[in-house]
Amino acid sequence: MERVLMKGNEALAEGAILAGCRGFFGYPITPSSEIAEYMARKMPKIGGVFVQAESELAAINMVYGGASTGARVMTASSSPGLSLKQEGISFIAEAELPCLIVNISRGGPGLGGIQPAQSDYFQATRGGGHGDYHTIVLAPSGSQEMMDFAMEAFELADKYRIPVMIMAEGTLGNIMEPIIMREPVSKFIEKPWATTGCKDRKPNIVNTLHLGNEELENRNHQLFNKYQIINENEKRADTFLVEDAELVVVAFGIMSRIVKKAVVEARKQGVKAGLVRPVTLWPFPDEHIRTAAKNARLFLSVEISMGQMIQDIQLALAGSVPVEFYGRIGFTPNPEEILQEILRLAEREGL
Amino acid sequence: MGHVTIFSGAFGSGKTEIALNFALERAGQSKYNKVLLADLDTANPYFVARDARDMLEAKGEKISIIAPVRELAQADVPNLPVEIIGLLRTDNEMVIDLAGDKFGALVLGYISGHIRARENYDMYLVINPFRPFSSSLDEVMELSNLLERAGKIKFTGIISNPNLVEETTADLIKEGHRRVVGFATKLKIPVAYLAVESKHYQELYPEYGSSLKQIKLFLRPDWIRGF
Repeated sequence: MERVLMKGNEALAEGAILAGCRGFFGYPITPSSEIAEYMARKMPKIGGVFVQAESELAAINMVYGGASTGARVMTASSSPGLSLKQEGISFIAEAELPCLIVNISRGGPGLGGIQPAQSDYFQATRGGGHGDYHTIVLAPSGSQEMMDFAMEAFELADKYRIPVMIMAEGTLGNIMEPIIMREPVSKFIEKPWATTGCKDRKPNIVNTLHLGNEELENRNHQLFNKYQIINENEKRADTFLVEDAELVVVAFGIMSRIVKKAVVEARKQGVKAGLVRPVTLWPFPDEHIRTAAKNARLFLSVEISMGQMIQDIQLALAGSVPVEFYGRIGFTPNPEEILQEILRLAEREGL
Repeated sequence: MGHVTIFSGAFGSGKTEIALNFALERAGQSKYNKVLLADLDTANPYFVARDARDMLEAKGEKISIIAPVRELAQADVPNLPVEIIGLLRTDNEMVIDLAGDKFGALVLGYISGHIRARENYDMYLVINPFRPFSSSLDEVMELSNLLERAGKIKFTGIISNPNLVEETTADLIKEGHRRVVGFATKLKIPVAYLAVESKHYQELYPEYGSSLKQIKLFLRPDWIRGF
């Protein structure tokens, strides 16, 4: 087993290559640029395509074109860049094209800063662009998962013909961890819908315009039937010490690892704390939340934002258990900071 | 003029941690009031020497960090501390943390005339052979040529830094170091030392003796360990 030391961004890029991605279109932006740099170095050597597009809009529309041909293609950016890509993502979602879109997220709004954040949660999980649509959103928590989820993302994208997003904090993109290199993917799903040249067959058409009233509504129903299937099959979460937990902390991404340490410490101090870590942000693992609520007196959502995922937790619990919030912006809080918040809430609630 | 020590190396080679450790070591021995640690890594503002500024100041270390002003410490622009040329032309002891890519080469091209004028300098190439783009001779050679040509300065030594951070073992260090020694032989650059985290020092000392140097990691968050 070959082990290497990789930044999260490098691991993600290599994972995409191992998954057979041979088209990268992007415009560099901190803290995601190592993905573009890695692709720029590697793609020409393996028969792939790397294009530094003239803008984020151009890049996402190159992904739209590339995905139409059935090729495994991707783009990567960071928060303000993702805002620019939203129109294209809406088109890709409607056209039901598989691709990978990566957000190595930083603090906003506006230009914000290059420091880590999770405040694009709403943008990622509510569609982000215009119209009724979803993308599957995966939130890795370490370098190994950056590689593994990139590979998984292409499988999910092909299986459901849907754009898949990976959202990871800037910290995760830039921190180095040892990883095990995976084997390259060799089996691919057939794509009879792809625009591969129509000699001896009818043309395949990729189009997102539906002028008829009924046609438009039917189209939306078709998409939502698919989203319903994804909802039933693809919700993922890790749980830790939730069986008897009275205080359940919810955190995703690299934040979940920090919270896990705080939960272990809280247990040592007699507080029955547990952790739910959503792996898919959409579909949101609401059943895991409800299962973890069995003995819970209080939930705590820890995010690097002003409070976004907390709304999905509240929706899942439907008022049955109160949900508190703790957040920072531009900082990755340490376990001690989270522990203090857990202990403060436990004391207040008499847990 | 006092000594200038430049640490360069590929992205994520560990050069910043090694430069920090070296500056701390020199701070205890230097005849100058403070050792200057110049953070000229313009590539990306995550995990850079300037992050250690508060820690060093709080501990009262005899180190002065030369970095972009605080307001610009997180600015994502090619951002050099304005006083760098003036300081290079002043008598002092300086440690320089330099990016090991084409941006580092650009910075080196800008300052190298002043470094050559001082004569009294070392330029080290930090290599971790377990990093992407540092695992083959071709890749390491490409990097060293890029910097040497840009700066018209020859590397005076290679610092071997084989590690997989928390998963490093003594055997892994030995295997990685053998590879680095192989690169060094081909590049005709001597290995200055083998850097290992303190916890491996005792075990490896009998084999490597004085070519071994123990380092402490300052920029890696504690919470990353043990998962």
